[in-house]
Amino acid sequence: MSLWQEGIRRHRGWIAASLLGFVVLAFAPALLPPFYLRVGTLFLFSAALSLSWTLLGGFAGYWSFGHTAFVGLGAFTAALLEGALHLHPATLSLAVGAAAAALACTLLSGLLAWPILRLRGIYFAVAMLAVAQVLAELTSNVDAIKGALGIVLPRVVLPGVAQHVLYYRLFLVLLFAILAIAFAVRISRLGQGLVSLREDEDTARMLGVPTERYKIAMFVLSAALTGLLGAVYAHSLGYITTESVYRTDISLDMIVYCLLGGIGTLIGPIVGAALMTVVTQVVLGQLLGIHMFLTGALLVLLVLAAPAGLVGLLARRRQVPAA
Amino acid sequence: MMPLLRIERVSRHFRGVAALDDVSLDVPEGSISSLIGPNGAGKSTLFNLVSGFFRPGAGTIALRGERIDGIGPLRIARRGIARAFQIARPFPGLTVAENVRVGALFGSLGRRDVAAVTRDALTLAGLAARADQPAANLPLGHLRRLELARAIAARPMLLLADEPCAGLNRSETEEIIALLREIHRRGVAVLLVEHDMAMVMRISDRIFVLDAGSKIAEGPPEAVARDPRVIAAYLGTPEED
Amino acid sequence: MLTLQTIADGLVLGGLYALAAVGFSLIFGVMSVVNLSHGVMVLIGAYLAWLLWHAIGLDPLLAIVPVMAAMFGFGYLYQRGLIRFAVERASLLASMLVTFGAALMLRNLLVLVFSPDFKSIAPSYAFAHVRLAGLTLDLVRVAALALSMLLLLALALILNVTRIGRVMRATAQEEVAARLCGIDVRHVYALTFGVSAAFAGASGAIIGLVLPFSPSDDGLWTMNAFVVVTLGGVGSPAGALVGGLLLGLIGAFAARLIGPAFPNAMMFLVLVAMLLIRPAGLLGNAWRARA
Repeated sequence: MSLWQEGIRRHRGWIAASLLGFVVLAFAPALLPPFYLRVGTLFLFSAALSLSWTLLGGFAGYWSFGHTAFVGLGAFTAALLEGALHLHPATLSLAVGAAAAALACTLLSGLLAWPILRLRGIYFAVAMLAVAQVLAELTSNVDAIKGALGIVLPRVVLPGVAQHVLYYRLFLVLLFAILAIAFAVRISRLGQGLVSLREDEDTARMLGVPTERYKIAMFVLSAALTGLLGAVYAHSLGYITTESVYRTDISLDMIVYCLLGGIGTLIGPIVGAALMTVVTQVVLGQLLGIHMFLTGALLVLLVLAAPAGLVGLLARRRQVPAA
Repeated sequence: MMPLLRIERVSRHFRGVAALDDVSLDVPEGSISSLIGPNGAGKSTLFNLVSGFFRPGAGTIALRGERIDGIGPLRIARRGIARAFQIARPFPGLTVAENVRVGALFGSLGRRDVAAVTRDALTLAGLAARADQPAANLPLGHLRRLELARAIAARPMLLLADEPCAGLNRSETEEIIALLREIHRRGVAVLLVEHDMAMVMRISDRIFVLDAGSKIAEGPPEAVARDPRVIAAYLGTPEED
Repeated sequence: MLTLQTIADGLVLGGLYALAAVGFSLIFGVMSVVNLSHGVMVLIGAYLAWLLWHAIGLDPLLAIVPVMAAMFGFGYLYQRGLIRFAVERASLLASMLVTFGAALMLRNLLVLVFSPDFKSIAPSYAFAHVRLAGLTLDLVRVAALALSMLLLLALALILNVTRIGRVMRATAQEEVAARLCGIDVRHVYALTFGVSAAFAGASGAIIGLVLPFSPSDDGLWTMNAFVVVTLGGVGSPAGALVGGLLLGLIGAFAARLIGPAFPNAMMFLVLVAMLLIRPAGLLGNAWRARA
């Protein structure tokens, strides 16, 4: 039996649950009032981002603290290219922009991968933070990029679909596409190699795991997906500046959601994003003055109460079936 | 006949101090060989050179006639050399079976039935009952067997075992000896580093003695045990155990 | 002449960076904890000095003494009350999340108590300056540099000469061995946090004299500390000094040569280059060189 057949068979419960989740979420806009639809869109975007982050951070154990670099690069690549091309209709423009965003992030991450992945642990984390910072300052200060002034993106209109429902649907499809990719990686030989390299890179290499190639592949895949999300996010905002897409809090949220839900798992980032989005937008939305305080307190409590994340807390085992 | 592993005039210095000085030795196919010598004799350095963690400063290392020095641990693992560490290095967050599976999935090249190889290695090492436990919770004797199971799941030609019995009690030692013999019986050559002389004498076809970075003797166990240079080397530096 | 002026400016900033980073470096060196709330501790020091100056007119340079005492107590309790649990129960990376959460809470408190606006401390001598060989130097800045050096020297002495300093270093090298020798490791960790917070507070008081500050600066000071430690090496005042001065000089020259538009890009490029060339920093890890 091949790895794939075995992986699919072992996780068929999760696959069924995911499909059910997709259907439920796909019909939700009909029932949700606009405010909750906005929260839902934010949740889908955050979950998709966290899942992209976890391809590298959760699977390979390389924690990037600067993944917003790829959100920003994707957003500005799409905005600048679409502005230059003036494609019609706007849906085509969006598709071209998103593809270009993924390509730009592939190129940048491909260039960075070899040197930056020689750094381990906290040093890799901070080097990525630095990459994000450098890109953000370039975006703001190179006039041609117009990061300080801001760029307006073409407005995508689909007949019969309201604007806010459109992005809800787009992020929903993207989330489940990324989930499928992550699942495929997880059950493949690549995924097993990644987990062993996360546990102990030197031992993994000694056992014949091509650690160098694997982590570069994950870095590039994670960056490309994040860039793609960045491009769609830019469209959902309609108008972007450096500050709106190069945001340290985006980088940190990706990590926090994965940790809350359970790092290394696939359901973890989704659970974490759902919880934090609901808590910060719905529950704490009224308490703007102490919003940050409560977020911090929640973070502290959750890390102390559930070091292996919520999924870990429920499973009461360190290694949770990964789907 | 070409030896399985040929180490030829290998030297390695660390900060000017010779850890290994012009050492040559041949590990024959189908043997259990042992590398002995006092602390600091260069046994670990030799293992690190063979498994590719260090490059030799001079000399060559060849596996079945093909040079492997300088190609790095990854490619050496794929050519068919596996290593079990004295300080076991399991992947702590994975189960026992998942650990062995990594060896079966990667290791030396060639497609195979991963599930069957994993099951087989677990049974061989007597770990089948603990297959689904987290590796981090295993007692020492089991950890050593896991280390060996993971190594042989990679289907190596040569297994490097670094003091597999250190710190184990008598019955655990017997289990490891039986396991090594079974691995050997299945056609994998074994090269041991070991302090326990009684065990070395019992299990080895051939013994290499290192002292202060040089090979001072080699041969079958009885001959090595009588060699005056070996006796001098051991009496000169009393071992605490 | 312009070059000399740039060097002088860079050194003053560099001295402050070094002092602000030394506590971060200490905690990283002794406990391997990356304290993401370090920047907030620097700011709390600045706000305490501001408060003392406004409430009772205490000179900020004199305020360093009570600020350090208060921050020492804060750091000690912070470790015993929170960090301890994070380190015991979860991984060290998770302790970063806990300190990050704490940073959010503290920063929010600063906003509530002091408002989100910029503050500065301006005593009567704030605008006095000295002329030295054609250079114009603000008196405050000269004093800031001198005080930073003095405090770093004091910490170096504490670590190398006093018993508690030696115990801290022993604990950094071999936690288990230190425990076996009868050292109360938890007490040592709390003391280390206390010392770290005290020096962060002192740097905050001096920073308040030289630069305007606001609660949202905390990330900047944490990052600065990280860069300084990466440049100079972990765990020692000397490493912090080298890293701090280097960072100050890089910042001053980058601002002059490339323009003020890229305040951090240069710093981070140097950081990444440094990580790749010499991951342990210029002076290496002061306490774990053998590993």
